[in-house]
Amino acid sequence: MRLALAIASLLILVVHGSVFYQQFFHRWERHQTAYFDQAKSLSKNDRERAALNERSPRIEQTIVTQFGEQRVDRCITCHVAADDPRFAGHAQPLKSHPYLVSLGDKKKENGSWERRHKYADFGCTVCHEGQGRGLQAQYAHGDDHYWPEPMLGFITQEPWKKEYLPYLKGKEYLEVSCAQCHTEENFAGTPTIAKGRQLFFANNCYGCHKVEGISDGTLGPDLSEAGHKFKIDYLWDSIVDPRSNAANSFMPKFNLKPDEVKALVVFLKSRKGINFAETGLERYKTRLAEATKTEGGPAAAAKEISGGAELIDRFACTACHKLDGKDGGIAPDISYAGLMRDEKWIGDHFRDPRAVIPDSIMPTFRFTDAQFQAMTVYLAGRKTPVAATLTGKELYKEVCARCHGEKGDGLGPIAIYLDPSPRELTKTAFMTSKPRDRFKKSIAEGVAGTSMPPWAKVMSDGQIDSLLDYIDTAFVKSKRPAPKDRKLPETNPVAMSKESVQRGEGIFVARCGGCHGRKGDGKGPNSLDILPRPRNLRNTQFVNSVNDRRMFDSILYGVQGTAMPPWIDYGLNQNDVGDVVNFIRSMNKKGRE
Amino acid sequence: MDNHGTHKPAEQEDAGGRRRVLTFLSAFGLIGSAVLSAFSNFVFIKPRATYGQPSRFHVGKPDDFPSGTKLALEDRRICLVRDGNQFAAVSTTCTHLGCIVSPSDTGYSCPCHGSRYDQDGNVTGGPAPKPLAWYKISMAPNGELEVDKDQEIEPGTYFNV
Repeated sequence: MRLALAIASLLILVVHGSVFYQQFFHRWERHQTAYFDQAKSLSKNDRERAALNERSPRIEQTIVTQFGEQRVDRCITCHVAADDPRFAGHAQPLKSHPYLVSLGDKKKENGSWERRHKYADFGCTVCHEGQGRGLQAQYAHGDDHYWPEPMLGFITQEPWKKEYLPYLKGKEYLEVSCAQCHTEENFAGTPTIAKGRQLFFANNCYGCHKVEGISDGTLGPDLSEAGHKFKIDYLWDSIVDPRSNAANSFMPKFNLKPDEVKALVVFLKSRKGINFAETGLERYKTRLAEATKTEGGPAAAAKEISGGAELIDRFACTACHKLDGKDGGIAPDISYAGLMRDEKWIGDHFRDPRAVIPDSIMPTFRFTDAQFQAMTVYLAGRKTPVAATLTGKELYKEVCARCHGEKGDGLGPIAIYLDPSPRELTKTAFMTSKPRDRFKKSIAEGVAGTSMPPWAKVMSDGQIDSLLDYIDTAFVKSKRPAPKDRKLPETNPVAMSKESVQRGEGIFVARCGGCHGRKGDGKGPNSLDILPRPRNLRNTQFVNSVNDRRMFDSILYGVQGTAMPPWIDYGLNQNDVGDVVNFIRSMNKKGRE
Repeated sequence: MDNHGTHKPAEQEDAGGRRRVLTFLSAFGLIGSAVLSAFSNFVFIKPRATYGQPSRFHVGKPDDFPSGTKLALEDRRICLVRDGNQFAAVSTTCTHLGCIVSPSDTGYSCPCHGSRYDQDGNVTGGPAPKPLAWYKISMAPNGELEVDKDQEIEPGTYFNV
């Protein structure tokens, strides 16, 4: 008993002692004492020595009120020699901040330097970030993942993203802080930000993302305050692999080099939604001036109509699309646009891509009508077909493989950005269950509501045939059996009526909703496990292009090679299917109740 | 070991000694903790860092202030005076009720209750009970003047550059 008491009381003493030690013997006290000692040996006269003798270690702080909210910077408690030029060669934390011409510091005739940004006015965290109040290195610098502001370009927090870590350090990141006041577009001190801004346009980021004062995209998240919301490691990760932070993201993977990603990260990190150098009134005035700014007028519009090719270059369409030699590797080839689509289609698609391809990820750009017109005229005028000498195999490589893949597996380089995804040509069960005419029609006329364009004018009839021969021999690799005789109505025998649609909806929700979704948008709970994905039955262009006979065929006898079962085996009769077809058609009717 | 009788008292003595040692250790632990806590509590009464502007700060290089300067630094609540090569930092907090006094031709005057001070901060009129404080100035290693409001000095002692 006494032994236990003795041990317990000694334990309490040890705990007390350690707390006491932590609270009264600080690292920073040792740093300051070391500084005083060294400074004394460096001082030239007695007055300086006497002044140092009077000082004792204490918490030093700068209170900065100029930049947004009040900042309390206690960095100089440890970095006590930050403004003492005699300590230029010492080790941290007793190293003086270097004098840098890039920071605006000036060297005077007598060899001494004058700082442009005085620490008494600016503090430390305005530039370096970090937790200014922290008195221990790991808190102040923000080593831990959960500290909101790690020191820019010095601390990397993300412990599980080791491959990025070497890129996340460096002086370039400090430009982020410069840009809080120096917002000029080509400020000499912030070359990385200028590069990032240029990349933001060159890669068409502006099409999807909004950044206050720079772009108006609506498809992706607003990045006006990205610098406040995200840390650099998160930004880096999201640019390199958009789906690693948001599994549902449909942002394309851009093939950027590390220094380009770094420039973009620095640029985005500098977007904090505030500018220290201007007041709220100034911001209001500039916004007012922007709102009342007028366009160039009819003369400028006429000039723009003639410059479609130049506009396409300026707006960086080839950051995603392929056009002749330039290929962004994300969106379809538009080199043959004039042979595939007419002017109206291209114009409609420009103004709202989802009006003609409902699941397209192309942003809706806010260009002027004259600009749209100019680009439409240019694209509609591109009427050079492929070379007539190309054989099936060469054709496939030239125009099909980009979506359907070199191996015909439907996994071409841009396939993941297309919805519905390109047909998997190696799926024998599907490919042999449909007649050759059906495929020929899909190639010649395209598939409405999808990214498959009509190729009839791009290649000759004979070329389409040789293409199909190549697909059959290279990918399908087996013969089509004789078509089965199926009893299918040419048109829906059940008349369209309110009751029929209601019955159809009941059947649809009970039988089809699991995969096609209750709303018929192809996003039912099972859809994620299914390849190819269930059809989006709200894709009006597609549904309207499919006749009743094909609907009945697909529903009653299933679609071979996909998850669609033959519903005739599961108790649906012709009348039930008629109701379902009526329901699907009614969803895609304009002005539906 | 062969005789229980002789062994027993030794064991008792052992046990008694052990008991004393344990008691001593427990007491040492508990009293030690108590002393440490008491000491910490007394020390913690005084805050280590305070809010508001730091009391020691840099004001700029001597060349920034030509001779004859008498510049009131509002946030810092001091008036920096240069006379030839002599510098002084005079408090601008009125010793009466703490208003901010402003430099005038004859010295300093307080707008609240009309206290007046001469160039050295001595009271020449009004309700102020004490002269204005003078603070210590020193030269920081980066060549700027450093004022320490924690150290008051005798009025009239200038800092020579």
